[in-house]
Amino acid sequence: MTATAVKAPTSARVRSSRNARRESFLFWVARYSLLIALGVMFLGPLLFVFLTSVMSGQQALTTDYWPKSWNWDNYAKVFTEAPMVRHLGNTMLYAGLATVFMLISSIGPAYAFSRLRWRGRNKVFVLVLVTMMLPPQVTVVPMYILWTDWGLTGSLWPLIIPNLFGDAFSIFLLRQFLLTIPKEYTDAAKVDGCNEFQVLWKVILPMARPAIAATAMFMFFYAWNDYFGPLLYTSEERDNWPLSLALASFRGQYQVDWNITMAATLLVMMPVMVVFFFAQKAFVEGVTLTGVKG
Amino acid sequence: MRRTSRPASTIAVIAALALGATACTADTGDKSDIGKGGVTEPTTIEFWHFFADREAETIAAVVKDFEKKNPKITVNVKSGQDDEKMKQAISAGQAVDVGLSYSTDIVGTYCSKKAWRDLGPYIERDEVNLDDFPEVVRGYTAYKGTQCSMPMLADVYGLYYNKDLLKAGGYTEPPKTMSELAEMGDKLTKLDAKGNIVQAGFVPLMPFYENVASHLGPAFGAKWFDESGKPLIGTDPAWAEMLKWQKALLDKHGVDKWKKFYAGAGEEFSANNAFQTGKVAMNIDGEYRGAFIKADAPKLNYGTALMPVADSKSDLYGSGYVTGNIMGIGRGSKSPEAAWQLIKYLSTDTDAIVKLADGLRNIPTTKAALEKSSLKDDELFKPFIEIFNNPKSSSIPATPNGAAPQNTFATFIDSWQTGKVPNLETGLKGVDTQIEKDLKLAGA
Amino acid sequence: MTITATRGTRVDVPAALRKKRRRHRLVVLAFLAPWIAGFLMFFGYPFVATVYYSFTRYDLFTPPEFVGLLNYEFMVKDDPTVRIAVRNTLWLVALMVPAKILFALGLAQILTRLKSGVGFWRSVFYLPALAPPVAATIAFVFLFNPEYGVANAVLGVFGVDGPGWFTDPDWSKPSLTLLALWGAGDVMIILLAALLDVPRDLYDAADVDGAGPTQKFRFVTLPTISPVLGFAAITGVIQTLQYFTQAAVASGVASNRASTGKGGSDVLGFPEQSTLTYPLWLYVRGFGQNYLGYASALAMALLVVAFALTVLMLWRAPALMGGEGENS
Repeated sequence: MTATAVKAPTSARVRSSRNARRESFLFWVARYSLLIALGVMFLGPLLFVFLTSVMSGQQALTTDYWPKSWNWDNYAKVFTEAPMVRHLGNTMLYAGLATVFMLISSIGPAYAFSRLRWRGRNKVFVLVLVTMMLPPQVTVVPMYILWTDWGLTGSLWPLIIPNLFGDAFSIFLLRQFLLTIPKEYTDAAKVDGCNEFQVLWKVILPMARPAIAATAMFMFFYAWNDYFGPLLYTSEERDNWPLSLALASFRGQYQVDWNITMAATLLVMMPVMVVFFFAQKAFVEGVTLTGVKG
Repeated sequence: MRRTSRPASTIAVIAALALGATACTADTGDKSDIGKGGVTEPTTIEFWHFFADREAETIAAVVKDFEKKNPKITVNVKSGQDDEKMKQAISAGQAVDVGLSYSTDIVGTYCSKKAWRDLGPYIERDEVNLDDFPEVVRGYTAYKGTQCSMPMLADVYGLYYNKDLLKAGGYTEPPKTMSELAEMGDKLTKLDAKGNIVQAGFVPLMPFYENVASHLGPAFGAKWFDESGKPLIGTDPAWAEMLKWQKALLDKHGVDKWKKFYAGAGEEFSANNAFQTGKVAMNIDGEYRGAFIKADAPKLNYGTALMPVADSKSDLYGSGYVTGNIMGIGRGSKSPEAAWQLIKYLSTDTDAIVKLADGLRNIPTTKAALEKSSLKDDELFKPFIEIFNNPKSSSIPATPNGAAPQNTFATFIDSWQTGKVPNLETGLKGVDTQIEKDLKLAGA
Repeated sequence: MTITATRGTRVDVPAALRKKRRRHRLVVLAFLAPWIAGFLMFFGYPFVATVYYSFTRYDLFTPPEFVGLLNYEFMVKDDPTVRIAVRNTLWLVALMVPAKILFALGLAQILTRLKSGVGFWRSVFYLPALAPPVAATIAFVFLFNPEYGVANAVLGVFGVDGPGWFTDPDWSKPSLTLLALWGAGDVMIILLAALLDVPRDLYDAADVDGAGPTQKFRFVTLPTISPVLGFAAITGVIQTLQYFTQAAVASGVASNRASTGKGGSDVLGFPEQSTLTYPLWLYVRGFGQNYLGYASALAMALLVVAFALTVLMLWRAPALMGGEGENS
């Protein structure tokens, strides 16, 4: 190729590179318009929710894009239309306690399934997987009856308390991660005379911080987003509603005030998104941990 | 190798758990010992109802009057509680001392399952005269002989019409028969350039606001069940007549256009109610609508009339559908006596009924209350009183599975409207079969 | 390491070793204890109890009444809504799950090709997936409102008459699918990681063989990421079998009707039961109408399907069992 290229007419080479540039320019335009379109698709809804949230009630019922008036007090109205602070408190209580309880109860089993050797370990782990994969509907009826008998319906306790007894998904996640810690670390600790509990506490836990953080994050947001559970157990006790129920029922008694509803919707979306901006790496790592290691 | 053999004991444990879990049924109240009456200790009771805003304020005011007359009883009002929430609470054993339901659908379920206590002993002890209430009202507060609820006011459905829109269409009188209603409804329906309905003379879509089978049925003389409890949807020709009448009007513009109209119509109890904003010329609605119009659309030039009836059943003119709110004592109540006092007050005390009726614009249930109420002189209210007092007026019979028959029929009507029913007669008989199967599931 | 004697009885195992093993077992039990208790109380017992209740009529007011196969008969023969619910759920499984995965794969592919701003665009695509499902559903229902929503307004600019979206029975499930696509970010992240994990030399080798982009995708990318795709598919299916929140909230909000005095489960499935998924119907029957026995029977049917899928997953994906497979 080199031999013939020396005397090749410059116009041809220029032409071909110009074609190449035009081609890549077209690709560039194509790719970037696709990106822009996707960006609009993903961010557009959030933008319109925001724009609607500052409109007046009447304007929210039109197809106008841009608010004629900027009613920032709609955000204040969110808190007078429903006791959102209380609902936020309920959500935080549920998510917080569930996460703490889960951590207390799930790390141990995860350790047993990954770093202890015992007969039937894998078979019993199948049970963990089974509880993870079967739909909750399979156990919901008797559970509801039980909680009714124990007098705890109308509150979030039926949702919080079971986490004191291990959460299958968390055990699964933690186990997957713990499996990847090389045996050498635990062997070294055992040589030093540590028993299993000390190994867990002193050696494993510090190393498992990212996995623990990811697992805690998953549990926290699972509880934060939970709608079915609270619907089942707290419907009749408005004071105990978490944000998910409160938002779903957010309406004037006789009609929906869309502008204020959009404000409420945005407020409910905010905490998670704000946390995401500050902890992006942890988020992505955590989600990847489930999918790729699985 | 040891093999732990524990199947027997495991089953025992599980069985014990299962039985133990079901043995906890709450105390249903000992009939024989309801005491001498009257509350001696300071007691707090919970009063659950569904009203909100303006209507809830009226109830709150009357409750305050009750507390003044009964200083030992404090009433904790919980508004916004619908039937489902009340049922969940009662079944969970929570203390719902007095429950007020929006409609009569639950009376069959609550009475037969003892979710609400039997009020018979209280009625007898305090010599409450049930004859003060019309027969139709007595009918929807009891089920198979058990009086587990008392009525709080009543609701009656009639015709509302927009006088301006009628006049513009050349009409001075509201319709008296179903064919007149259809004719006027058709004439007064206007379309826009794209063929969408912008003004409806009468909306034949079911459901639309209060256009439901239970409200229209009595206008055709249609019956839901016979005395033995067998459904009559497939055998009573009045139902087929009603559906054919309705579809004829619906098909003039097509069900899609009507559904589009409904989607764009405001919510029923909001200020954008389509009748209140002048989008609908004639509408079937309850007597309470007047209060909403007064609050939201005071300038609306409207009239009220008796419910139009089927052409072949002109003797029914003046009757209609009657329902009402009902109240009962939740089975887990720790203070049934106090609860009874509140119920007795709200259902029989003339001043209480008058205040409630005037505030909510509902029908006062006793004659004495009607005499004292300002509503009896209200021209716009008169048709509803007439319907209420008409002996041919009816309510929907109570069933142990609540509104299930109505829901089954509503599903069928929707198929009928969208043209998915090849044979009406067979389809209606299918509705009966389904209703019977549903009753079997409920253990009727 | 047992020293087995001729008759199968254990002899000659040093006492210290036996004691150590017993202690080890106790330690294992100690670690597992919370989970064991939880498994028995919150899974084992309820599981058996559901089977039991499925043969009864129970409404919490009166004690359960044994009715034999009545619930199952009703479910199979006499409940027309069950068929609708099954069909709706199957629609979502067959259409929404692949759509979401394919869309997520497409997004991930785009991200791998970006030369700059990957982090930015990744965040953009992932952000909506973080929105709580209730909030996301309400936002979508409003934006797709046929009367005053932005979607139809934009379509109107192009002269297209937009459909009823969440209020149109033919469009409600596709609308839910659009909602799922909006939230495809979480699947995208997983697929992105898998795509980035494909060894470069495989692509280089394919280049040498003269493979074009489509062939590279078919023969290099897909086979390598197929375990992750499989994982996403099966978890997607299992989640969709339980699909509740978005359908419930969408039907409640789109019906735009104040909850009647009767109760919230009135409007579920709006419009015309097109969004009534199987779990929703189970909820309506069991907790709206108090047919707890019947709901248990419905749950059993769901269990059979989910169990079949679980078995499939466990059989096809031994990778889930983790690094070492040795028993002690």
